[in-house]
Amino acid sequence: MKILTDIQLAAAIALTHMRSRLKQTIVATAGVTFGIMVFVFMVSFITGSNEYIRAIAFDQSPHLRLYNEVQTAPGTIIGKVMPNTVNMVDHVKPKDVLPGLKDGKHVVQTLALNPQVAAISGSINAQVFYRLGSSTINGVINGIEFDAENALFNLQSKLTDGSFKELSTMPNSVVMGVGLAKRLNVKTGDRLALTTENGNNFFVTVVGTFKTGMTDIDKQQSYANLNTVQRFLGVPAAYITDIKIKLHDMEPAPALSLELQQKYGFQGSDWKQDNAAILQGDILRSLIVYGVAVTILLVAGFGIFNILTMMIYEKMKDIAILKAMGFSDSDIRWIFLVQALIIGITGALLGLLFGFLCSWGISKIPYKSDVMITLDHLPVSFNAMYYITGFTFGIITTTLAGYLPSRKGSHVDPITILRG
Amino acid sequence: MNLITVKNVSKYFLQPTRMQVLNDISFEVEKSKFITITGKSGSGKSTLLYLLSTMDTRFEGSIRINQEEMLGRNNSWLADFRNHHIGFVFQFHYLLPEFTVLRNVMLPALKLRRYPVAEIEHRAMELLQLLGVGEQAHKRASLLSGGQQQRVAIARAMINEPLIIMGDEPTGNLDSYNSAAVFELFRKMSAEKGQTILMVTHDEDIARKSDQTIHLADGKIDEIMVR
Repeated sequence: MKILTDIQLAAAIALTHMRSRLKQTIVATAGVTFGIMVFVFMVSFITGSNEYIRAIAFDQSPHLRLYNEVQTAPGTIIGKVMPNTVNMVDHVKPKDVLPGLKDGKHVVQTLALNPQVAAISGSINAQVFYRLGSSTINGVINGIEFDAENALFNLQSKLTDGSFKELSTMPNSVVMGVGLAKRLNVKTGDRLALTTENGNNFFVTVVGTFKTGMTDIDKQQSYANLNTVQRFLGVPAAYITDIKIKLHDMEPAPALSLELQQKYGFQGSDWKQDNAAILQGDILRSLIVYGVAVTILLVAGFGIFNILTMMIYEKMKDIAILKAMGFSDSDIRWIFLVQALIIGITGALLGLLFGFLCSWGISKIPYKSDVMITLDHLPVSFNAMYYITGFTFGIITTTLAGYLPSRKGSHVDPITILRG
Repeated sequence: MNLITVKNVSKYFLQPTRMQVLNDISFEVEKSKFITITGKSGSGKSTLLYLLSTMDTRFEGSIRINQEEMLGRNNSWLADFRNHHIGFVFQFHYLLPEFTVLRNVMLPALKLRRYPVAEIEHRAMELLQLLGVGEQAHKRASLLSGGQQQRVAIARAMINEPLIIMGDEPTGNLDSYNSAAVFELFRKMSAEKGQTILMVTHDEDIARKSDQTIHLADGKIDEIMVR
């Protein structure tokens, strides 16, 4: 009880001190406000951008992919025959691997029953040449089952013209990336020729165009029905080259990928490998944000430290009188600590408010981009976590900045002051 | 019953070189007396007062106030003891300039919390009126004249009804009229409320009018005059 009234009295004295130094107090508070505001604003904006870029990239990439890849055989034949001798084989050629997944369709059916799997699609990815008139463009054709692929990548939302439905009803039809269509100068309804790797030619009709926002995909890729592509390549109906999986929880993807690779003998990769650059960029940007914010808060902290230290030098006499009256060391400490806390809490709350207003303001600014088609305003993330972090940061800095001077104040020896 | 018992007290200053300021001081003070401590500059009279004030505990010997030994107590115990039992009046008034006169007087009592705030305010107001500065109560302390500030300081020293009021030349900075008035106030308090007054002074007149004078010379008691 006594300690409460002591702190209350210390707070009353602190408030009187601050009132008599209103300008300095406001400047110190503004320093903290500015620090927290910049922190909240920068974190919201940068995280918003990060999340947007991630969303686009992840929308286009499955959590888990299984495929076959040409690679060097592990070990040599002579090594297997004579394992106990030193064998030197130079210039080992890579083993030719068929891109088709063995028993692919069956694997898709089995994995579809796995409770971790949210959506799965088996497809064919093949290199082709698109030819129109005299021009030939290297590209990729994706043979898909529309319903399965749509469940994974929400293809329907990326359609800019035409329809995906006609892929299954109309023979030799493709839906083409907008970049590719532009290069070939074709529109929905136009016909062009397509040459496969083994030299077969087919005439196809463009029944639609799509835009993902990822330039590489839009300039190279087109979708066709799985059966159509199998027919182009001259392979049986069981032939697929890629299994793409979306999981309910994406975190265990790397582990599951490893498990499936061993079980079926395929190559595999997961979203962490596929988007390593983006994920690394996220971490770096966050580091920069926190670095800048901490620096600003440190400067604000030094401001508080200076003001309180100066105040204690000015108030030496008052401290001595208070001690003579019977105020204890901890009472004196509270007087100055309370000032730091008031500055810190007020500054931090104002900082959160202004930070929120800045973020909100910038999220309303229209922003058009050719690359990011789904973006109409600047992306800003509003997450209570940033506000909690900012507030905590602010309080910790100001408490530290206030603690050292207040300790100094509490150690003032009243005798040396009073005797002059 | 003795209120203050000082036994074989010696005190050294360590800066700039080790120097003895008080040498084997012993005396006793009874309750409700008006004591003056006199001596030339550097005789150690202020040092003695600050030892008795409990703010300086770096000495050898023994000081007992109200049956409590002061040596070896920690800071917060001593602060609490001062708050309860000792009121202070300094030479240069030493009010807190940002606070009102009334608030200055109330502070020690707000710290003590013996009475509720309204009661404290009432008592502070009474004291100020008694000391003739009642009209100044709501002014800021820094706006008062020297004599007025010293009266406020006396009111502040008395708010907690301490056993002892100590003064370090409380009249030293005042003209003779105010000086006499302040002395009379001390005298009256000591008589009416039975408080012990302990005052360091240069003023021969004041010393002559006190109950007991302790005269110091070169850190030793030169003589103790009891009237």
